[in-house]
This record gives sequence, structure tokens and C-alpha cells, in this order.
Amino acid sequence: MKRFFKDLKKYKNYILYASKSELKTEIINSYLGWTWMILEPLAFMLIYMFIAGVIFKSKVEYFPIFVFIGLSVWNFFNKMVVASVKLISNNRDTVTKVYLPKFVLLFTKMGVNMFKMFVSFILVGVFMIFYKVPITWNILWFFPIMVTVILFTFGVSCLMMHVGVFVEDLTNLTNIALRMVFYLTGVFFDLSTRVHNVVYRTLLLDLNPLANFIYNLRNVLIYSSAPVGMWTLIWFFISILLCILGINTIYKYENTYVKVMR
Amino acid sequence: MKNNNKEIAISVNDLHVYYRDMNRFSLKKNGIKGKGSGKIFKAIKGVTFEIPKGQILGICGKNGSGKSTLLRAIAGIFSPDKGSINLHKNTISLLSIGVGFQKQLTGYENIYLSGMLLGYTKEEIDKKVDEIIEFSELGEFVYRPVRSYSSGMYSKLAFSITAILETDIMLIDEVLSVGDVHFKEKSYNKMKELINDSNRTVVIVSHSTKTIVELCDKVIWLHEGLIRDEGDPEKIMTKYEEFMRQEQ
Repeated sequence: MKRFFKDLKKYKNYILYASKSELKTEIINSYLGWTWMILEPLAFMLIYMFIAGVIFKSKVEYFPIFVFIGLSVWNFFNKMVVASVKLISNNRDTVTKVYLPKFVLLFTKMGVNMFKMFVSFILVGVFMIFYKVPITWNILWFFPIMVTVILFTFGVSCLMMHVGVFVEDLTNLTNIALRMVFYLTGVFFDLSTRVHNVVYRTLLLDLNPLANFIYNLRNVLIYSSAPVGMWTLIWFFISILLCILGINTIYKYENTYVKVMR
Repeated sequence: MKNNNKEIAISVNDLHVYYRDMNRFSLKKNGIKGKGSGKIFKAIKGVTFEIPKGQILGICGKNGSGKSTLLRAIAGIFSPDKGSINLHKNTISLLSIGVGFQKQLTGYENIYLSGMLLGYTKEEIDKKVDEIIEFSELGEFVYRPVRSYSSGMYSKLAFSITAILETDIMLIDEVLSVGDVHFKEKSYNKMKELINDSNRTVVIVSHSTKTIVELCDKVIWLHEGLIRDEGDPEKIMTKYEEFMRQEQ
């Protein structure tokens, strides 16, 4: 772990510069540029609002914000996991020519996607003002929960990146798994009121970390309540363990990645 | 040798590098375990040498003899399976055809990224960036994405970055044939200039007898992952050429 912080310090500028460049190119290369960062979640929000509101007739207070919070977190997690599976082989030109700690690549991607999530949450803020959501001190819980979200995502991505080097069909597997988790996470419906069976509710809401994070983010941001239950805290510690495990695995095997890719 | 009292820049000790036949596999055949049981291909099987600071070492050998693998192992891209490599805290850069660029980014951004990977700070690169652009002869192209470059421009940029952002140790993989005749000459001269700096240690992998005899102090002849011979460039290269002729 000491090596990790040393490397992090050493490559900090690289990570920043690379994320910035990547964001910039993404913006330059698309027709609508930076507006996509707002348009994309907005469009998805409308779709889910339609499905949930018109088809399922769900009645959730502040529904657009409700969906938007879920989407912001979900998109971040989803994009990170999908990207990390192929991260090493997509960067083969760099990886085969210079040594760099492989988590640096991951951090660059994190930078890009965290920025997108940040923009997304600014929109949440705008919506909150627009809908006159009552604002309380509970809103400060937002930060520790986000730290947990980020740590969890990083830990999972580390492990996905590692396994992705060796297993060809991981992309297919992750696609299925992610789709499943998406529906189990309640991005566009309220798990806590829809699921009545207590066992299922614990399973879905507490043991599925993403559902838990999103549920509690909604609680603190729009329902003026403190986080419910201890599970976010428990997931915080599990996430730290995941990160340590991920970083150690990558350090141990990173120099064999290039050999496998030939 | 007269270099005995000099500092050592690179020591390679009983180096082994293997490629396990663990090509990416699908779940059909194996479990989740990372290591396949496949055959082992031994690219380097026990190589030991030391390079004193300031020496220019040539490495020759036929295709597949492990030259590039050795170079990459020294650069830290491959991990040794056995043995060790000690760089004595020198900075190192590997110069090979087409250094890794992020293709969607511009040449300008890639200069910064490559420089940072070589351990330079942004300020240090700021000072050198104009020199790099000038040497690379890319002109306005430097502000376009690298994917729009021709292969010649690509290598020119790669060469310029490594040549101008100097490191203590330079590893050169067949790079002396970059670009057109004019740039080739220019890069060859730049190379000589870099090499003549007595603080710089250089390792050159090349098939060209001319390059090695003209530039190097010493040659190592790799053959099937082992050192077959080493010593004075002219003597070794004569033997090597004779050997290659017989192979045919």
C-alpha cells in the first residue's frame, strides 16, 4: 500500500492530464459537445419517467429527481465496470511500450467518469431548487455516501480489470450481470415500498450495495432524512477491503499482463 | 577493463523470461484461475551482464533470439520469471518504432503524456515542447489527433520525444530507420550526439552491422535466449555475419 501512495503521487499529474485530455477529445469529437453530458442522463430520465409513471403508475414524490439520482450513480458504476474489463487491451500501445502502474489507467477513467457524475449531480441540485425540495442538514450525508460509492466502484473495477486481461468472455458475462443488477437496484422504481417481503427487501436493499447507496442518497437529498440502517457504513468498510485487495492483485500480476496480450 | 572503476548503470543477473502459453482463454476450457497450464516458451534463459555508466551496448541476434524481450524486461514492462534487473535508480526510456500514443488525442497532448510517463513534470516539458515539435518537423499536424498521422510522422514524433526528453538510460529498438532519408540522417546524428554524452548509458538492438560497429563500445550476441558471445563489436559482428550466412 505504501507503494500505491508513492506511485499515486508520482503519476498524479499524468492522471489529471490524461483525464482532462480524454474529456476534451470526447467533447470535441461529438457534434453536440459538452451538452451530451446533460442530454444523455436527461433523455434516459424521460424514458424511465414514462415507463414508471405511465405504465406502472408509480407515485413517488419528486419522481424526476428520484430517477436522476439513481441514474447518476448507476451510470458511473456501469461505465466504470464496462470500461475496466477491456482497459488493458484498449491501452495496449501504451502498456507495451512504457512501464506504468496499471491502476493509473483506471484512475484516468475514474477521473473522466467522476466528472460526468459531478455534472449529473449539479443537475440534481438544479432540479431540487426547481421542485422546491426542502433542504436540511441531512444533505451533508451526501459526501460520505459518495465516497463510499467511489471506493466501491474503484475496488470492483480493479478486480474486473485484472480478470478481464485473462478471461476473454468477461465482457459478455459483465453485460448480463450489469443488466441484472440494474433491475435489482431500483433506479426507476422504489424498492423500499414496492417489495413487501422482508427477506427480499433486506436482500435487495442492503446486500446490493448500489441499491443501498442510491436508496440512502435519495433519503438524504430529497426526503430530508438521515441514512437508514447501518449497511452503508458496512459497505464502506467492505469497499476499502475491496480496494486493497484490488490494488494488491494488480501490483502482483501487472507485469504479466503484457505477456498475455501478445 | 578500464571501465572497472566506473559506476554500474544496469546489472542483469541470471535473467529468465518465459511466455506461458496462457493466451486469453474462454471459460469453456478453464476455470477462473489466472494461470493456464499451457506450454512454456523460454524467451530468455539465464542472461547475466553488467553495463557500466556511459557505455553503449549493442545487442545482436537473429529474429526470435530474445532481443526485444530483453529490452522490454530492462524497461520494466515484463517481469522476470527468475533472476533480477537492477537499474541503480536511473531513469529509463524505451525507444522503439511507434511509442505508445493515445491515438484519439493530439500529438501535442501526447508529448505531455509521454513526457510525464518518463518522469518529467509539466513545467519541464513546457520548456522542451517547442524543441520537440521543431525536431519532429510535424508543424501544424502536432495539433491534430495522432490517428490521422502517417506512419512516418508517427515515428518521427516518437523519436523526437525520447530524443529530446533525455533519460539516464536509453533503450533503442531498431529505431535508426525512422522517416525519410533526410530525417533518418538527422535522427542518426542526434542519436550520435546523445550517445556521446558520457553520462548516458545506451542499449541498442540492431541487425545492422554498420550501426553497431560505428556506435557501440561492446556487443552482446544473443542466441536462443542465451549469450552466445560478447566483446569487441568488430570481432563479434564478423563472427555473427559468418554465422548468419551459414544459417542460410
